[in-house]
Amino acid sequence: MSEELNPLSFEAILKRIRNKLPIQNPLHGFVHNNILMMFEDKEFHEALFEAGQLYRANSYLDLEKYKAKFHEKKISDKDVEDGIAQYSLHYNDSSTAKRLGLSLKEFYHYLMLSEMAYNDDDIQPEIKDEELWNRCAQKMSGQVLTHSQGHKKYRAKEYWEKYYNESLASTTHPYIINIISNFLDQGQSFWSNPYSETGFWKFFCSDMDIVRNFGTDWQKILGHKLDTFIGHTPQQVIESELARMNIPKEAWESYLLDLLFDLKGWSGMVNKLETEPWQATVKAPNIKLVDFIAAIILIESSLDEYHAHSHSTDLAMIYGREEERTLRGFQLSLALYQITKTFHLQSSWMDQLTPEDLLHIVDQIDIAEKAHLVRLWHEAYENHFYREALSAIVSHDRTVVDNSHPEAQVLFCIDDREESIRRHVEEVNPSIKTFGVVGFFGLDMKYSSVKNNRLIAQCPPVIEASRIVREVPRNEEHAKSFFRMNKFLGVSDLNLYYMSRTLFRGFFSTLILGVLSIVPMFLQVFFPKQNKIFKEKMNQLISPTPSTEMAIEQTQEGHGYTKVEMAKIVQSILNMCGIQQDFCKLVIVMGHGSSSTNNPFKQAYGCGACGGNAGISNSRVFAKMANDVEVRHHLKSLGIVIPKETYFASGFHDTCTDEIHFFDMELIPDSYLEAFGRIKMDLNQACKLNAFERCQRFSSTEAKENPEMALKHVRERAEDLAQPRPEYGHSNNALAIVGRRGMTKGLFLNRRSFLLTYDWRIDSDGEILKQVVLGGIPVAVNINMDYYFSSVDNDHFGCGSKLPLNLTSLLGVMTGSSSDLRIGLARQMVEIHEPIRNLTVIEAPLERVKKIFDNHGRLKKLLYNHWMRLSVLDPETNTWYLFKEHEFQKIDVEKLAINHFKTSKDLFGKSHKEQDFAEIG
Amino acid sequence: MEFLFLCLMLIPFVWICFLGLSFFIRFNLSEFFLSEGSKWISVIMSALSLSLSVLVIMNRSQPLHFDYPSWIQVGDYEFKSRFIVDLLGSTYALLTSLLIGIIFRFSRNYLHKEEGYFRFIFLLSTLMLGLMIVSFARSLDLIFVGWELVGTTSVLLIGYFYRQVQPVRHSIKAVISYRFCDMGILAAGAWAHHYMHTTDFTVLHELLSDPHLHESGHGGSIALTFIGVFVIWGALAKSGQLPFSSWLPAAMEGPTPSSAIFYGALSVHLGPFLLLRFYDYFHHFPILLWIIGIIGATTAIYASAVGRTRSDAKTMLAYATISQVGVIWVEIALGFTQFALFHLLAHASMRTWQFLRSASLIQDFVENPVVLQHQKVQRSTSFEKYVPKALRKRIFIHALHGFHLDYINLKIINFLSWPLRSYFEFEKKWLGLNNTIVKFIFKKR
Repeated sequence: MSEELNPLSFEAILKRIRNKLPIQNPLHGFVHNNILMMFEDKEFHEALFEAGQLYRANSYLDLEKYKAKFHEKKISDKDVEDGIAQYSLHYNDSSTAKRLGLSLKEFYHYLMLSEMAYNDDDIQPEIKDEELWNRCAQKMSGQVLTHSQGHKKYRAKEYWEKYYNESLASTTHPYIINIISNFLDQGQSFWSNPYSETGFWKFFCSDMDIVRNFGTDWQKILGHKLDTFIGHTPQQVIESELARMNIPKEAWESYLLDLLFDLKGWSGMVNKLETEPWQATVKAPNIKLVDFIAAIILIESSLDEYHAHSHSTDLAMIYGREEERTLRGFQLSLALYQITKTFHLQSSWMDQLTPEDLLHIVDQIDIAEKAHLVRLWHEAYENHFYREALSAIVSHDRTVVDNSHPEAQVLFCIDDREESIRRHVEEVNPSIKTFGVVGFFGLDMKYSSVKNNRLIAQCPPVIEASRIVREVPRNEEHAKSFFRMNKFLGVSDLNLYYMSRTLFRGFFSTLILGVLSIVPMFLQVFFPKQNKIFKEKMNQLISPTPSTEMAIEQTQEGHGYTKVEMAKIVQSILNMCGIQQDFCKLVIVMGHGSSSTNNPFKQAYGCGACGGNAGISNSRVFAKMANDVEVRHHLKSLGIVIPKETYFASGFHDTCTDEIHFFDMELIPDSYLEAFGRIKMDLNQACKLNAFERCQRFSSTEAKENPEMALKHVRERAEDLAQPRPEYGHSNNALAIVGRRGMTKGLFLNRRSFLLTYDWRIDSDGEILKQVVLGGIPVAVNINMDYYFSSVDNDHFGCGSKLPLNLTSLLGVMTGSSSDLRIGLARQMVEIHEPIRNLTVIEAPLERVKKIFDNHGRLKKLLYNHWMRLSVLDPETNTWYLFKEHEFQKIDVEKLAINHFKTSKDLFGKSHKEQDFAEIG
Repeated sequence: MEFLFLCLMLIPFVWICFLGLSFFIRFNLSEFFLSEGSKWISVIMSALSLSLSVLVIMNRSQPLHFDYPSWIQVGDYEFKSRFIVDLLGSTYALLTSLLIGIIFRFSRNYLHKEEGYFRFIFLLSTLMLGLMIVSFARSLDLIFVGWELVGTTSVLLIGYFYRQVQPVRHSIKAVISYRFCDMGILAAGAWAHHYMHTTDFTVLHELLSDPHLHESGHGGSIALTFIGVFVIWGALAKSGQLPFSSWLPAAMEGPTPSSAIFYGALSVHLGPFLLLRFYDYFHHFPILLWIIGIIGATTAIYASAVGRTRSDAKTMLAYATISQVGVIWVEIALGFTQFALFHLLAHASMRTWQFLRSASLIQDFVENPVVLQHQKVQRSTSFEKYVPKALRKRIFIHALHGFHLDYINLKIINFLSWPLRSYFEFEKKWLGLNNTIVKFIFKKR
């Protein structure tokens, strides 16, 4: 029985605040999320509006950028029309349009192309039509329009900034950042905070006790304030401060949120470490969000008092002030003039209307311009892509299904970066069949390697890891020296880190290592690749990694899997791939990950389905399960017969260096080696071509010449200490296609699509589709949205340029010497991304799709609130549907011209410009 | 050898003139050209300075002197272009060209596609020229020229992201510290000219040992000591010694490679470099060596205590650098000049390396097999042990706030500037008074 909280009680307010704070993990556990996940209850545009105010960010690209695309013909008139149609399905208030005598569509259309500037005092527009101008001036003379900015303002911050040019960033923020980053520190500083057990509030009070004697004036005031609060809990402090400022309870939430969003990264991190302490890099300190709020609210109110005192201002006047903006005669006439011009109205339209009506219209259009203009452009922009994408997919010939018995089957991840390599593999050797399944291969496990005892969840963050699987050496005896050496290296690494930064030990380590350090620096800066090879050789020499295996058998509760469970996992993955009997001799399970160096965002490049980690362990565990005789025996009873001669090999694709590694090679029976060698060669060739395709986006000229150079180039990139863009990650992802490979085989998708294999024919009740969609689509939308926000406003939703980033507390990054903890992705990671919402295309009977989307809470929200678009091909009737206006509507897709090429490689060259879709073969 | 030396001076000079000129005629140099150009410049410079160092060592470390015509001549005063190539100077020049070469190569990818790439290359090249001048200059006047070039480039690179507020604010902080200490060098130059008619440090200390010095109307030994005090004052800010330690951690606002080269390596070590240049002079006045030693030792302890509490990669490295530079000052005070030079070289290379890979820390820690098990243990066995238990928490908080150095500095500045402020207040009142009188008169009319 849950008791409904009073919505204005402090607990309820705090709960709502928690939900709106940024949700980013510490960087070592970075996962792609829709950063506005908590706003998904709202319609997309409305959520973006609210979040834009909270984050003080633009939720769309700059208007100018859309207009530039329009002039470059990247948005056509048709797209504008479609965008308007799409938008007006939901935003269909046509009252203003009616008053102008226009239809809603006309109204939106004119609005999009308007160049109204009466809001801007700096621009003096030209007035050509004297007669109209006189008429407007006459109508509007002596009129005043008052826009109120909505609600009352309770924070004095803007007031100080506006009138006295005093910003928080220069007064209180350095102090707050100093104490909070130190308190949350996970081990970067040598002297750990002695208060980390007693709690942040205690720390803050003792800190203030000392600082008040040495601080600036607001700190002295704060010291006195704290004296009056001795014995109060942080919550009491917050409540009494809010009450003292005369803030009504209804406004508490927005006041506190505004306060917290000044330092949104730190606030979010405090909240994260309190609610999910296991996410901490090492150990979460004893901190509560209320402690933090109490501290910053006291700091803010002391600063207010100090400012009020020094500027002799009355605080009571500032708290709860209402700011208004008024338009007067001239601006109003201008507004009227521009409205007449923009909406192509007769100059007599205003004759019948009273000045009050006209003022209302000006007001409404002002609101409409602010709210709808950029959204309409964004819809048009997206529509351009959707139209091209749907046309390419619909007109692609799906009937060519290769029935010949393939040489090998390769299971890739659904990742958009694997789209290109699958294409290349099939081009190199058409008798290799590729599949796309979620890259954690159904394994909900925590994993630890022989090198590191740390348990890492190797599954999507929505799934809770239930098992522990460890990598163990095959021969304990042989591995003993390895473990000793491994530990020794770890200890010395850590010691070196701390010692080189202290006084006496720093003195000795500087002398001993100082001049020597010029050697690795020189090598790594000038010869990154050779340096890596050298380092690996040295590692092999000092502590050779022993041959290992995965301990997958269940030994105790929570460790490993039973044979029956293994069979179930293997069955579900094979079902998703649609492989039930045609097993090849070789089935390769290909995990993926990305290697890069000196990159705090490494986790963002990994396999999203494995929680941002590399998928090596999952592919090894899965292959081992599938090769197990007993498991195959159980599988037989589940209806899947794996022939004796089928062997599952585990592979790993590095999406940055385009290398493919294989594991547990010593287990492969000799009779497979020859076939295996052939496949390996084909895969390596595909890697080369894949690297070549990727290099087209980089600016290195030599890498664009031929695949060999390209491969060399991408490998160097991964090892380059100075490389802020080891790869472009998921940039430009915009599609997710669920269906048989036939839907996309031979279709060039420019690495923009997640590919999920699903065969509707073997799925009788939609259970398999459910697994495929639930496993893949939320991940795809998360990635899509993360890139969306970081690219539309990189300074506020993202973390800005990578160049001045400064790692802090082992949790995140700051810009420069002290700043807010940055969230999101760096500018260099998203600079080529086109922010387009995900379009999912599913090949399955409509009813099955409907059932899944209607019954799953989050997917339903995503779909109905327009966080994604969905199109369905019903293969039984061969009709296309598009989800519009809360229902699936039949669509007739116009077929645009598409280029044909012999191979993917032919697409690239000097004469071609980048295109998203093409037919290959 | 003179040719080598001239090349070392002229190549960066011609290069920045070329860059500056192309900027003035609004000719946009491509990123490719800039990176290739700077690459070759640094290769040539490294080769030249390497051969120069080898020649100096083969020459049994005997310094060479090169005199060129005066730059400016005003009355008695002559701005002499006199250079010295000795072990100290050529080593510093070698360090400069090697590290800048590495930074140029590093920035090629790191600053790729940046709009400020030209600015960055231009400023680094100017830094190179400035350091070459400082390395080989034989008089304080000439050192000052290079000194200012280094200071200016440093400040401009702190404010590299000049569209944001904080970088600009912190670069102003750096300017103030620099300027304040530049007064020391200027004062030293002025006093040296006044009392000894030269600022050539090879001559200065010889003059000191001249028995006629005191008879021939030169200032007393107090005045001569003060020349040394001024030089020390001048060296304070660049190397972040007390009381000028707080600008350096705040200066970590530019791109990582610029932080590395300035505050890990070349700019911070100019302080000890200047002291080494004047070591022979200081040698005559034990009190000066005491001052150097005390400043160095206090700074070393101070910075190491504060640095321990820093939780972000870059300011932590900044404090670590300050504390090791403090140790170098102590070494100089104790007379281990060769050792100090070696320490300087070692320290500069190591810090550059640590700065460049400061972004790897999270991976380093997460991949380290002992972090979860032993990390706590490792951290508690430090400095705190020597602090009495009762005081630990208090001292921790003081250290966390940098022992309130900014606050203390502000108090001192307020104290020093009170005559100015009171004059300002007085002026306001006086003018106000005038105003009322004028108004009064005019009203009457």
